Amino acid sequence: MVHRFLRQKFSSGGIVIALSAMALLAASQIAGTGGREGSQFGTLALLILAAGCVSKDASGGALQMILCRPIRRSDYLLGRYLGILTGFGAFLIGASVLGIVFARGILPLIGSTARPVAFGELATELAAAFLGGIASAATILLLSTFLPGYGDVLGFILLTPLATLPDLAGKVLRAPWLERVGQALRENLLPSLDWGAVLRGRDPLGAPTGRWVLAVVLYLILALAVFSRREFAYGQD
Amino acid sequence: MISVEGVTKTYGRFGRSTRALDAVTLEVQRGETLGLIGPNGAGKTTLLSCLLGFLRPDAGRMTVAGREVDDLWVRARTGYMPERLGFDRDLSGANFLAFHWRLSGGDPARTGTEVEAAAQRVGLDRAALWKKLRAYSRGMLQRIGVAQATLGSPEFLFLDEPASGTDPLGVAIVREQILAAKRRGATIVLNSHQLAEIERVCDRIVFIDRGRLTRSETLRGEAASRRRAVVRVPAGKAEDARAALAASGIAAEADADGSLRLADSSDADVARAVKALALADVPVLEVRASADLEELFRQGPPS
Repeated sequence: MVHRFLRQKFSSGGIVIALSAMALLAASQIAGTGGREGSQFGTLALLILAAGCVSKDASGGALQMILCRPIRRSDYLLGRYLGILTGFGAFLIGASVLGIVFARGILPLIGSTARPVAFGELATELAAAFLGGIASAATILLLSTFLPGYGDVLGFILLTPLATLPDLAGKVLRAPWLERVGQALRENLLPSLDWGAVLRGRDPLGAPTGRWVLAVVLYLILALAVFSRREFAYGQD
Repeated sequence: MISVEGVTKTYGRFGRSTRALDAVTLEVQRGETLGLIGPNGAGKTTLLSCLLGFLRPDAGRMTVAGREVDDLWVRARTGYMPERLGFDRDLSGANFLAFHWRLSGGDPARTGTEVEAAAQRVGLDRAALWKKLRAYSRGMLQRIGVAQATLGSPEFLFLDEPASGTDPLGVAIVREQILAAKRRGATIVLNSHQLAEIERVCDRIVFIDRGRLTRSETLRGEAASRRRAVVRVPAGKAEDARAALAASGIAAEADADGSLRLADSSDADVARAVKALALADVPVLEVRASADLEELFRQGPPS
């Protein structure tokens, strides 16, 4: 299933071009900052990789042909999730290698003085980006189990502004309880965790890490629950 | 055996619901080939979707060999072909078949052999097998779809319009695959609008109309309820033929094209009819058995 996911994604010219562009941008930033930045392009790459991860299979009829075989729905879903993470990991490694090549081979050639690549920093950045991707991929996977087409990515982008709505409404309506509810929702459902700092040893077992782990587990369980119950029509009577 | 008991399925909600299946009850015996017939929107595909576990009935129960339809044991013994093959079009035919062979739990060491054998069965040569699916014509897609469904000789075969869009040779190949599955004892549920093909391969047919099972007809065996012998003579001789048959005590209805439908269709009756026509000097152009499914289809549900 992981292999099929990667083949599906990387056989599309549009996706390969978009990922290559992201990798070049990330690599140039890695080269420019000596490996201290560049992971923000990873988020965009993840969105490209995860877009329609389940929904496109369901609408095209491929999912039905897989589900009539002796495959558990959970195995299929896990395959898609691991596929996204494998593709994302490969992207991060590829962009980093390209960044090192830029920093060591190309920038000196054009006479630009780049900061030397700090491999420890680069590895931390990479790991932080990958760990951040684990939560994002789980969220998109959940959305893809019930939203059609690329609604999963759209939903993911809209989640953050939507999650601030109760908070905002609480402020406007001067309802502190609504603010608290909004804050709790945001902290627990969309926990923001600075993985770079955590990996550098800042409170690795603190409450934010716990909330992040719980959110990922919750998203995966919800994705499985929704997908297991979902019906898939495949044609017209 | 496939068992469907009082299955109801409704689409939509909030006052705009459509009942796609309404208390459908039927059984398909082991080794039997059942044809589903009905107008568009009758509920045939919904019934197949429920049998394959893609849709959940609102009420009723379905089992395959006494197990739930989505039991992995059942799925390991199931072949399915959708009306339109919506699979990864960037795959070659060979990789498509190999993927499904592995997915069905087939021995990886036998992948190449099985893929080639399956392709040969449906008349796809090596060159076609290595083309990408997106380069396949509709007919080729149907053929590889049948090859995919019959990989590993499944015990239960669910086919949705398997010969749709294929040329006459493709229709014959699809038919041969269904008959081959029948010969090895597979239980087959076939949804098709090609009534002539249904008649050739099915043991029994059920009519579905507006979600209800309106009629069941046995086409083969002792209990055959619809099969009638048709004797075709030159159109200008139809009346003479009918009179000759009547004189021999054989009741028949004559059509304008010279076809005479015998009221009694046992082998002895047919032999008697042919003899009577020969004695009356009426040339017999064709003798065949027909279930008149088209007529039945036109009639619609019984009043």
